Amino acid sequence: MSSVVGAVIAREYLQRVRTRTFLVGTIGLPLLMLALFVVSALMAGSGGSAERSLALVDRTGVLESGVAARLAAAGFEVESVEPGSVAEEELESRLLDGSLGGALFLESGTLEVGSARLRGVSVPSLLRRIGIQQAVSQTALEVRLVASEEGPALAALLSGGELHLETVGAGREDTADEDGTTAMVAGFAGAFLLYVVLLVYGTMVLRAVLEEKTGRIAEIILSSMRPGQLMLGKIVGVGAVGLTQLAAWILFGAILLGTGIPAMLPFFPEGGLGFDLRAHLPGAGVFAFFGLCFLVGYFLYASLFAAVGAMCSTEEEAQQLQFPVVMLVVVPIVFLAPVLDNPTTSWAMGLSLFPFFSPILMFARVAAGAAPVWEAALSVVLMLATLMGTAWVAGRIYRTGILMQGKRPTLPELWRWVRYG
Amino acid sequence: MQDAALRLHAVTKDFGTFRAVDALDLEVPRGSIYGLLGPNGSGKTTTIRMIMGILGPDTGRVELFGDDPARTRREKVGYLPEERGLYRRMKVLEHLVFLGRIRGVDGRAASRKATDWLERLGLGDRAQKRVEDLSKGMQQKVQFIGTVLHDPELLVLDEPFSGLDPINQDVLEEIVLEYHRKGTTILFSTHLMHQAERLCQRVCLISNARKVLDGPLEELKRNEADGIVAIDFEGPDAWIGGPEVLRSEVAGAGVRIQLQAGADPQPLLERAVAAGARIRRFQVEEPRLHEIFVRHAGSRVGSAPGTQGAAARPAEAAVHPGALP
Repeated sequence: MSSVVGAVIAREYLQRVRTRTFLVGTIGLPLLMLALFVVSALMAGSGGSAERSLALVDRTGVLESGVAARLAAAGFEVESVEPGSVAEEELESRLLDGSLGGALFLESGTLEVGSARLRGVSVPSLLRRIGIQQAVSQTALEVRLVASEEGPALAALLSGGELHLETVGAGREDTADEDGTTAMVAGFAGAFLLYVVLLVYGTMVLRAVLEEKTGRIAEIILSSMRPGQLMLGKIVGVGAVGLTQLAAWILFGAILLGTGIPAMLPFFPEGGLGFDLRAHLPGAGVFAFFGLCFLVGYFLYASLFAAVGAMCSTEEEAQQLQFPVVMLVVVPIVFLAPVLDNPTTSWAMGLSLFPFFSPILMFARVAAGAAPVWEAALSVVLMLATLMGTAWVAGRIYRTGILMQGKRPTLPELWRWVRYG
Repeated sequence: MQDAALRLHAVTKDFGTFRAVDALDLEVPRGSIYGLLGPNGSGKTTTIRMIMGILGPDTGRVELFGDDPARTRREKVGYLPEERGLYRRMKVLEHLVFLGRIRGVDGRAASRKATDWLERLGLGDRAQKRVEDLSKGMQQKVQFIGTVLHDPELLVLDEPFSGLDPINQDVLEEIVLEYHRKGTTILFSTHLMHQAERLCQRVCLISNARKVLDGPLEELKRNEADGIVAIDFEGPDAWIGGPEVLRSEVAGAGVRIQLQAGADPQPLLERAVAAGARIRRFQVEEPRLHEIFVRHAGSRVGSAPGTQGAAARPAEAAVHPGALP
């Protein structure tokens, strides 16, 4: 018997993994993202070398070193030019022949109100203007502060200060000094990824069932196995494709994080992304819960999608009938932002314990560090219990529906299918 | 008979308030070609689906090779449903291996057999093509191969010849006869009486969910004979007449004789020979299966009882077998 289900699983898996769409989605998509990443890094970091070159003419006499350092950190090639020198007179012609991107003049007003002059043949990009302006105003501020009595003490303020986060609550001391935003980002990104894969692979199950039904192939297969076995084979086969894709993406992410980003760091201005990404990754527990949420959530939705597929006879009908099931996946995404904003409220807890929302919302709360272990465990138990129910109902609908052609069932008919199977 | 490949015991199936099959008993002897005949909507497909375990009977029992069908069905039965279909995007050979595997044949053996069959049916060069790239006729051949890949002991074919082009009808008939010679039992349903008449040894006529008649085809025909004997002869004709003869009608070089009900035509032949007539043709006319069917099912399917011929063609029932209510 199991070899029969195995044949169905193997067919479903191999047929899908070998398609071009799967290859593009699994390998092409991350490659595309990587390419975008690299290109944008290269463009932000290097640009044209002439465009990045900047002559600095400091008439105040005190700002040159500070501004030059800040501009260099922002990715400019700075060349200091003595005011009134021959070199200054040559600046205009160098700007015109394109060997110089711009000339920045720091004058008397600079120290007073932070005004400076930038001469060039074209207007630089907004980001560059902001970078230049900040380099100038921060340096001016620093110089003036240092000149005052309390100056040195205020240097820390100038650098932006620091917010120490402390949370109070039983059993959560361990997360008290963590940076909440990265956990939040992990929750948001993970929940969104779950949403995408659950929806994509759920509807794939629907189409697989529909293909079997409209292609009139179901009857041959059902003469050698029970409908439940066929449904299970389909769901497991498609799910294995989903797992393969997720695994490929995670592997790719790990490679990127482990070797790709460090290799690219030199291309970034200001010496990298400003923080070490790896230190902000969620822990193994969150990853494990992600996998669990995917598996249980997938089976939960896939059984429903399979039942919908078995009820329909055409693609159009399926489009309409899948709507309620799709809503079960979409609604938690609507609640995702509010729940992550107030992850410890009772309504957030309630929503995330609702079994059809749990895969997305409970994962988000766990990743954000806002759900204690017992809540996560309870949600898994509830999901599994619901899964047994949906699998039973879906199995009965599937059993009858897969052989029906023509009009789709009315609700009372559907009820009869479930009751008498 | 002890040695039945398939037995149905009072099998009944309802769909809501509609009774699709009503207390049907059926016995298909091992090695026979058995026809399940009836108009569209009479319950043939539902019966076959119950034999194949796709539907469960509400009451009654199906027995395969004297055993519970669940255990033997997968390996021993080959099934060609009325609604035929294949995965369009799969490669031909791969598809056949899949069909073999779900019937319990291991992958390598299935691949070998499928390759042989493809060669035999002239599709050897299509093994690596996708099903959708094949012509409809070729797809039908692939479907036959999928049905017999596991060398079943019982072939169940639901309206096997409908929708086939003439060439493939011959191909399928050849495959069926080949398996018959190997001892395989064959059960097929059809509403085409002439096809059944040519192939079947035994038939079961069903109409409106009920069995009307069943038994060996020859016996049915004999029982249903109208007692008309057509004789072409030369020489004396004084022998015409006697206790068996109800009336006679001379036409050209022959005579048509209507026998008394239940009379044996043999003494008539003996008298004719004794009288010195040269017999060129002596034929006890048998009714066509179609006429037998109409005679028995006609009243049930809405035709006037007792009428014969084209006027009494079985009406097509409103329910399509594929569309279960």
